[in-house]
Amino acid sequence: MTEPKPAEKPEPDDTAPVTPAPETAPERPAEEPADQERRPGFGSLFLRYVTTANTVMVTLYSFLLAMVIGAVLIIVSDPAVRGTFTYFFSRPTDALSASWTAVSDAYAGLFAGAIVNFTTLAEFQAGEATIGRLLSPISETLTYAAPLILAGLAVGLAFQAGLFNIGAQGQVIMGTVGAALIGFGLHLPAYLHLPLALLGGAIAGGLFGAIPGVLKAWSGAHEVITSIMLNYVALSALGWIITNEFVKDPDPNKQYAISKPADESSLLPRLAGMLGIDAPGLRANLGIIVAIAAAALVAWLLAKSTLGFRMRAVGLNAHASRTAGMSVPNTYITSMGGAGALAGLAGATLVLGISPHALTHGVAGEVGFDGITVALLGRAKPWGVVAAGLLFGALRAGANTMQSTLPLDMVTLLQALIVIFIAAPALVKAMLHLKVPAGGLATTTAKGW
Amino acid sequence: MANDHIDLTVEPGEIHALLGENGAGKSTLMNMLYGLITPDEGEIVIGRPDAADPDGELVDTVHRFQSPGDALDAGLGMVHQHFMLVPVFTVAENVILGRETSKGRTGLLDRDSARAAVREVSERYGLWVDPDALVEELPVGVQQRVEIIKALISDCELLILDEPTAVLTPQEINELLDIMRQLRDDGKSIVFISHKLKEVKAIADRITVIRRGKVVGETSPTASESELAAMMVGRDVRLTVEKEPASPDTPVLEISDLTVADDRGTHAVDGLSLTVRSGEIVGVAGVQGNGQTELAEAIMALAPTIGGTIRIAGDDMAHAKTHEIIEAGVGYIPEDRSLDGLVRDFTIAENLILNRYNRPPYARRGVLNAAEIQRRAADNIETFDVRTQSADHTAASLSGGNQQKVIVAREFSRPLKLLIAAQPTRGVDVGAMEFIHSRIVAERDSGAGVLVISSELDEVLALADRVAVMYDGKIIAEVSPDTPRDEIGLLMAGSTGDDEEAAGD
Amino acid sequence: MRTVRGKRMAAIGVTGAVALFVAACGEAPDSANEGGDAVAKDFKACMVTDTGGVEDRSFNASAWQGMNAAVEAEPAVEVHVKESGSEADYETNLTGFINEGCDLIVAVGGLMGEALTTVAADYPDQRFAIVDAYLPDSPNVFSMEFNTAQSSFLAGYLAAGHSKTGKVATYGGLKIPPVTIFMDGFAEGVAYYNETKDADVEVLGWNPETQNGSFADSFEDSGKGKSLTENFVSQGADIIFPVAGKTGMGTPTVTQGDDALDSIWVDLDGCESAAEYCEEFLTTSEKNIPDAVSEAILAARDGGPTDGHTVGTLENGGVSLSTLREDIDPELAAEIETVKEAIISGDIEIKSEVQPVAS
Repeated sequence: MTEPKPAEKPEPDDTAPVTPAPETAPERPAEEPADQERRPGFGSLFLRYVTTANTVMVTLYSFLLAMVIGAVLIIVSDPAVRGTFTYFFSRPTDALSASWTAVSDAYAGLFAGAIVNFTTLAEFQAGEATIGRLLSPISETLTYAAPLILAGLAVGLAFQAGLFNIGAQGQVIMGTVGAALIGFGLHLPAYLHLPLALLGGAIAGGLFGAIPGVLKAWSGAHEVITSIMLNYVALSALGWIITNEFVKDPDPNKQYAISKPADESSLLPRLAGMLGIDAPGLRANLGIIVAIAAAALVAWLLAKSTLGFRMRAVGLNAHASRTAGMSVPNTYITSMGGAGALAGLAGATLVLGISPHALTHGVAGEVGFDGITVALLGRAKPWGVVAAGLLFGALRAGANTMQSTLPLDMVTLLQALIVIFIAAPALVKAMLHLKVPAGGLATTTAKGW
Repeated sequence: MANDHIDLTVEPGEIHALLGENGAGKSTLMNMLYGLITPDEGEIVIGRPDAADPDGELVDTVHRFQSPGDALDAGLGMVHQHFMLVPVFTVAENVILGRETSKGRTGLLDRDSARAAVREVSERYGLWVDPDALVEELPVGVQQRVEIIKALISDCELLILDEPTAVLTPQEINELLDIMRQLRDDGKSIVFISHKLKEVKAIADRITVIRRGKVVGETSPTASESELAAMMVGRDVRLTVEKEPASPDTPVLEISDLTVADDRGTHAVDGLSLTVRSGEIVGVAGVQGNGQTELAEAIMALAPTIGGTIRIAGDDMAHAKTHEIIEAGVGYIPEDRSLDGLVRDFTIAENLILNRYNRPPYARRGVLNAAEIQRRAADNIETFDVRTQSADHTAASLSGGNQQKVIVAREFSRPLKLLIAAQPTRGVDVGAMEFIHSRIVAERDSGAGVLVISSELDEVLALADRVAVMYDGKIIAEVSPDTPRDEIGLLMAGSTGDDEEAAGD
Repeated sequence: MRTVRGKRMAAIGVTGAVALFVAACGEAPDSANEGGDAVAKDFKACMVTDTGGVEDRSFNASAWQGMNAAVEAEPAVEVHVKESGSEADYETNLTGFINEGCDLIVAVGGLMGEALTTVAADYPDQRFAIVDAYLPDSPNVFSMEFNTAQSSFLAGYLAAGHSKTGKVATYGGLKIPPVTIFMDGFAEGVAYYNETKDADVEVLGWNPETQNGSFADSFEDSGKGKSLTENFVSQGADIIFPVAGKTGMGTPTVTQGDDALDSIWVDLDGCESAAEYCEEFLTTSEKNIPDAVSEAILAARDGGPTDGHTVGTLENGGVSLSTLREDIDPELAAEIETVKEAIISGDIEIKSEVQPVAS
């Protein structure tokens, strides 16, 4: 409703086609560049691609630049390494090797904690380590990635409809509540209980997410404002719900505010158990499958369904969509409801997949907020969000291992740096002297922001 | 290439008209002169009186403007098609925008001297404006004056007016032309950009015609309109549309006593009544901003009505939803193509089904049928001669004329009972214009009723079987298209008297 | 443009290089110096914080203090810490330490109890300890709890005796048992004072019968603590007892401005953890986590029981009042000693239902 009218002359210049039809044949400017491009070999084409600020390369460079800045911070923040720089000129090798060790240890730790630890691999081959220890890093990555992907999809779907869903955090919280209530409130066989609990999370999140959509549709209230505020509402509601008689864990030994735990039958089964691997530490669960299935569903919805068509149309141009007879308010409500359902599903995977399988004040962590950065990194595209969610999940998992060399906040910092670079492609372009791609620099933003 | 080696010389004290079609490159040229675009090649030479010897030879300086600031410093002023004013500021505040001076060292804005400066310029050139009026409360013509004052106050020698008459009433146009003459007599040079032959002939001292980014000729205002038109378009242009006499049948659109409020709550359409029958084209003529936009939007249920009835093919549609009206067989070409007509980042194929996306055969049970959508796109691109390499290119990659063809293809590919065409050929090239006009006539001949709303009187007169003149939210007269232009011009100005002159005569 | 910018960049670069050069001219240390007096480490104690992190100046910080105290007492102990960014990290941090070969893993915070129960069941041979929770069903978890109602009872008695206006106040961070136990004890201490002295000191901010009172809904927001405190002051209270972590820091900032106003701190001695406000605190209702943690580590190293359960009380020094401020009436101080003895002997029974019970 408040979208600024686009500048009046956005069309390519009319000059070329101002041609009476019979005089010239329709021009095909593409043929020429095609001819030119056939000549250079793969090498120069590749070189041209990597020196252009296109979406893929900007994303990649953002990641690398963040790693470089992170490396500098690692060196600066380590007092021992800093110490070696005070006598840099009398013995530079100390400073250089200490810096190298600090940085490489940190990033190697990140990798080892997120993907595979080669020491463990060697031990495993020698029969000294369990399969559980070997798979633990990747299992951790998948565990963290599942809710991040779902929350990222929640923000990304709203982006597609031109809405900035800052309220994912509140929707995740409501999702945890919905899933937990069904998880401990009902007692059913697993094949019914788990789907119902997931559904409960999705519905709770969806209804909560629809509120900013309804407010925008009916009163024009901006979803950014309303959804931010609803995050606080959700958090306070959670606090109230936990202390509720029906919800609170009656165990007198549990002094803390914690709800009853969800029934075993409602929990997301662990992948290790499903694959017949006996390793208690592997907590990766069905949640990651749920997340990837959700991404596939969202991808299909956006590309193949009339609803997705409508969401994208409204997101790109609400005026034209209205003129074409689409109901814009309706689309806002559906999109926010759908986004909320995805975030609610993220909440459900938290409660049903991660110990203590119960509601606490911090049950949702920062998943909803991280979802915003995941969606930005994934360019609001479903599969991009999956990739970004896996990356951030890996960073989280690796961070826990990296703690012996670095503070936990380092990963938060890396994430923030990546997102800053991605949000400001012009910065990356300028720093690396990249070329501007044909379509211009791409940023992911919602209309009006 | 928007501009290809253009040479243009403007003498001091001259009104130089730059004539060309929409998209011929006029605005690009002027934006280069004004520093908004930096040219790839070529130079701009500006002659100014020597400070030491004001009456002597002009001193030439060569420029390549990097920003409007450079252009301002070199003595250029520009009045854009779309005003660059801050609506909530007063006239005086707008005039000093960008070169605010403060009182002494207090940092307080020096409004008094700004007011005085505005008054001085107003009086010198007869451009009367209240310096303390809020810009948003001023009529369009006066806002334009503010723009001119803004340019004059910074001592500009060359004033560029980009399509200044598009938004004005005939009376305001006459006033503007008077102001321009006065400025010229005061020694200022003016570049007057227009594609309206009559105005150009009436005011210009010299005329440069550009086409497809090149200068195709320089001529004097004594050249005939058809000569100018031929230069502009590159061949003889029929300003008429070939059509058989209409055979109006049953009413397809009956509007009675319609009242529509605009964003500010004033009655943009005020008790309007109008009937369109099948098989006829009714043209609504009027100066922009007299409620035409709101009329079209109200018919399409895009603007809320506050009174009156709208019957489409006999059914009361005053409270229908937009998609119901589309379903009832109403086609709509919206006036703002890029805002309301197309989703620029959608493909051509997607845009072609924008209002049918959830109907068979394009979708069944909520699932899009990609094959059918592609077939439709290929068919439309060929039938409507949309110049593109692929239906999967975005609408944004098309030129304005081809974008309009996409809209026309979308609306005309289903049986219509009624067609609302608002500014159907705005900003499109002549080839596309002829094509669109012929398709509109074809729709009429196949039995649809057509309502053409255009601020181009020529277009209305060429297309319409009946002309309704709209002024101040009402249809104040219905006349035949054979009515003399002057008479219609007067009606458009809301006057039925004969003491006022129509534009450009 | 580019050349100008290039020059500027070059200038900055040169300046920076010079600065670095000067800073980097120090002498290289003797490499023989390294290594030194290392003691062979034979016991690896590892601590997992809750989401507050190790530098929270309160709960986790005091546990970490206890870890380091163990090293001081027995140099053969080495300590490590992992912080939890979210509750989802509890389990992975616990298992991470198992993989790193820790001898004892200390979980800080009752909320970790659930994750610890799961992990402890999966690794029955691993020794664990937990602060602020009791896991009776986990034979390999040593539980440490604290009956802070006892120390807070004394704090309440002190406040009632010291108050000039006859009104004292308390508020919490969140309405959860580890917080309300302090408030219960405080209110009961005031009630006991009223009973024995036939006084009528009123407690604002907490009603132990209805279990309702004032909460900031945050442990981080000192601004909220400030406004709650100002509210109590305007209602006539002159001693305020915040049980709200960093939120509580808002209280001494208010009482500082008026000599007639005082505060009582919680957890760690306010004269150390918030030394700048030492003058504002009559005393601190201490929860002696450092000693408990340190003792648990040393006991585990000596092969003590894996499933112990300690409850810190006034009797065993697990909870206490810190040294009273100098201006406290000696008579009142003496009475507090008497009350303390009565609590230890069981003559005074504290009613709060959230008190941990020794097993």
